Amino acid sequence: MKTSKYLKIAACCTVLLAAAVPSKAQLFPNTYLNIDWQIAVPVNSSFADKTSGWGMNFEGGYFVTPAITVGPFISYQTNLESIDRQTLDLGDGSVLTTNQKHALFQLPFGVTGRYNWMTDRVFQPYVGLKMGANYAEMSSYYYVVKQYSDSWGFYLSPEIGASIFPCPEYRMGLHVALYYGFATNRSDVLIYSIDNINHFGVRVGISF
Amino acid sequence: MKIKNLRYFAYALLAVAFSACQKEPSTSELNDDYLVYTDYDTSIDFAAFETYFIPDSILVIGSNYEAQYWKDENAQEIIATVIAQMNNSGYTQSFDKEAADLGIQMSYVEEVTYFVGYNNPYWWWYYPYYWAPGYWGDWLGWHYPYSVYYGYTAGSLLVEMVNLDAPQEGSKKLPVIWDSFIGGLLTSNSQVNLQRTIDGIDQAFEQTPIW
Repeated sequence: MKTSKYLKIAACCTVLLAAAVPSKAQLFPNTYLNIDWQIAVPVNSSFADKTSGWGMNFEGGYFVTPAITVGPFISYQTNLESIDRQTLDLGDGSVLTTNQKHALFQLPFGVTGRYNWMTDRVFQPYVGLKMGANYAEMSSYYYVVKQYSDSWGFYLSPEIGASIFPCPEYRMGLHVALYYGFATNRSDVLIYSIDNINHFGVRVGISF
Repeated sequence: MKIKNLRYFAYALLAVAFSACQKEPSTSELNDDYLVYTDYDTSIDFAAFETYFIPDSILVIGSNYEAQYWKDENAQEIIATVIAQMNNSGYTQSFDKEAADLGIQMSYVEEVTYFVGYNNPYWWWYYPYYWAPGYWGDWLGWHYPYSVYYGYTAGSLLVEMVNLDAPQEGSKKLPVIWDSFIGGLLTSNSQVNLQRTIDGIDQAFEQTPIW
């Protein structure tokens, strides 16, 4: 998957750069970078509705004012669900009886903005909003088959969080956030449908 | 927190990022159960048929160029299950192939080595000569009058119903009007395989709403 490849390259470069510049954690003046592991809880979902920690978030921003940052983000998330054997009427005479594994993969990316407080302190809270596109792949695994459909939607995600810098002058520390994600994707697989994707989640990672 | 510790955390995150982007679920549990897929021609009035003919063996699709027939007591139990279901559905078994309205052909996919390969047209050409249209009458080829999806995998049973009342003149094709695909029948336990096959046949008839 090309996207996966680019994502991994970006993550690699980011982390290696961070590791290589310990004396000045802020790679570029007036910027920040976050790399987070995330756990997502689906809301009002009838497909792959189990909480999952199979996700990460990568973002950066530029301080356009001492309090406001704007920059790009990209993240990914997979939620899974096991379905016991059931009989599905596929229409037009077709009927399928099987057990399944469902997976919903999301790859949102776009622009993120934050309003930050106390940017010279150890604990630096913020509120943020992400906007962009969301690629989603809705998959059903059964027997030896993976049946899936993909879709694109608009993505909107408010967020609150904080960066914790033990030594604020180095700007290298931890990041925690609570977010809600909404996407307008619509998709169908077998007899299952999704119409908008909602979830909330927690991010924990590093900030510099 | 020390910068050094943060660096270790960064390495850990890097490892996670590299481990996977899109998580694929474990599919090993999917082998714990069988799959049944059925389909039929919705334009056919199945109540118009009265009799059916079923051969006394199951075609084995394997690696041999010669057609193999499965005729032992396990095969007879599987065939008897289909007969019982057909009788329960209101049809009468006929032992006269020419006089029957419907034909039932059963094939067990033992191996897919040759069967799925278009790169071996010799075998593809000769595979179905037991259930070839010539077995049933003067038809030239089969056809499915509806969309059908098969996953040819080892340990699968195909049960198909052909319309023997269909016209034969003028190079007509023999229509398959009902089909079932039962997968996941190949475990290490032959008794489990047999029971799954029987359960799968029962399920195939149960989930078909035409009788």
